[in-house]
Amino acid sequence: MPIKYIGKSIDFKGKTLWEILGNLKNFGVGRLVARNMFERYPEPSYIKIMKVETVPNPETNTPDDVRKVRVWVEKTFRGRKSPELVEMFANTYKADYKLIPKCEEEDYCRCDNPKVEYKVLPRTTSFPPLLRELIVREMKEKGEVVEEPQLTIVYNKNEDSRYRAAEGDEVPTVAFQESFGKAVTSTL
Amino acid sequence: MFTRLNNAKLAITVEAFTTNYTNLQVYRWGKKPRWLPTAKTKMFRVAPRPQIPTEDYEELKRLHNNYRTQIKSLTGYFTEKYSTENIQQFDIEQHEKSIKDDFLKCTAINDEWNRQIKIQREERVAKELEESVNLAKQRLEERQQRQLLKLQAADVEVRRVIEDSKDFITPDKLDAAIEYALNNPVDYNFALDLDGNVYKGRNNDSVKFEIKQ
Repeated sequence: MPIKYIGKSIDFKGKTLWEILGNLKNFGVGRLVARNMFERYPEPSYIKIMKVETVPNPETNTPDDVRKVRVWVEKTFRGRKSPELVEMFANTYKADYKLIPKCEEEDYCRCDNPKVEYKVLPRTTSFPPLLRELIVREMKEKGEVVEEPQLTIVYNKNEDSRYRAAEGDEVPTVAFQESFGKAVTSTL
Repeated sequence: MFTRLNNAKLAITVEAFTTNYTNLQVYRWGKKPRWLPTAKTKMFRVAPRPQIPTEDYEELKRLHNNYRTQIKSLTGYFTEKYSTENIQQFDIEQHEKSIKDDFLKCTAINDEWNRQIKIQREERVAKELEESVNLAKQRLEERQQRQLLKLQAADVEVRRVIEDSKDFITPDKLDAAIEYALNNPVDYNFALDLDGNVYKGRNNDSVKFEIKQ
């Protein structure tokens, strides 16, 4: 009887990292592996296996509890190579990896547009109207010089982010969208 | 005004604030009570993934990102504002002094309580001592009284025995007593007839006694 899978469909496509590395000579050290999920970006993203440490097989090998592997990789994300080796463990269970054949490695790694564009985002923005009024009143009560209060914007940051807040007198390249902002498309 | 029955919730309109219960509307959560597991027929049903148009998706993503950034910034602003204010307000010396003052205050109250309780205790102890002394005195008196009564009773008894001892048969009186006994024989035999008459003596000849009915 054929196996019939029940459940919601997923966006992952491929194998877990151990399924790939466990079948390769020397655990695939030196080979290239890519995430299918990252192929949505125009720039290439891939990892080069540098060191592999195996971990024991889980007692029950179910789709919810698959074998992981601890690897150290040279990570390239969107055409930008990480300066240090990256340890991967927690996300190795994801069935989203694919091995790049040796003959395709050169093509896969080719980055036609390696120029990385950083967005410079504004450092501050104005307060919401009511809060602004409250702050101005507070300042008046304290007898301070009333100037337009500015809210410091908090941005998420990680090593892969391609934007940063403006520093000093730098002119931001992108304006901050106050309130709802402007719709992306004209149809909406 | 809201009541919840099993899996039904009562929704109330504005008119329902009068006591007219015909305005109550009952609606159910769904076809199935919420605490029951997935129906057998629905167990393997897989809901189709929502198909969101790309334009909508992009727009919603933009709005979400924008909203999160703004809220995060405001949270950061408030956190910084109030945490710095709190740090300025907190004075370690003042805090320690307030603790010390509080301790002194509590000690004073405690001393006052102890003083009051000491007075009460002394009063109570004095009262209890007096009561116990009185009780002891009373018991002593009662015991003396009982002793006196006992002595009196014993005295009466002794006197009675002395009185009785005059009739005792002593060796001196023995001969006279024997003589008397021999001279006055006593016959305890008696007989009865059908009328209840008593005839004293063995020979049934002399005295007849009437028995009182």
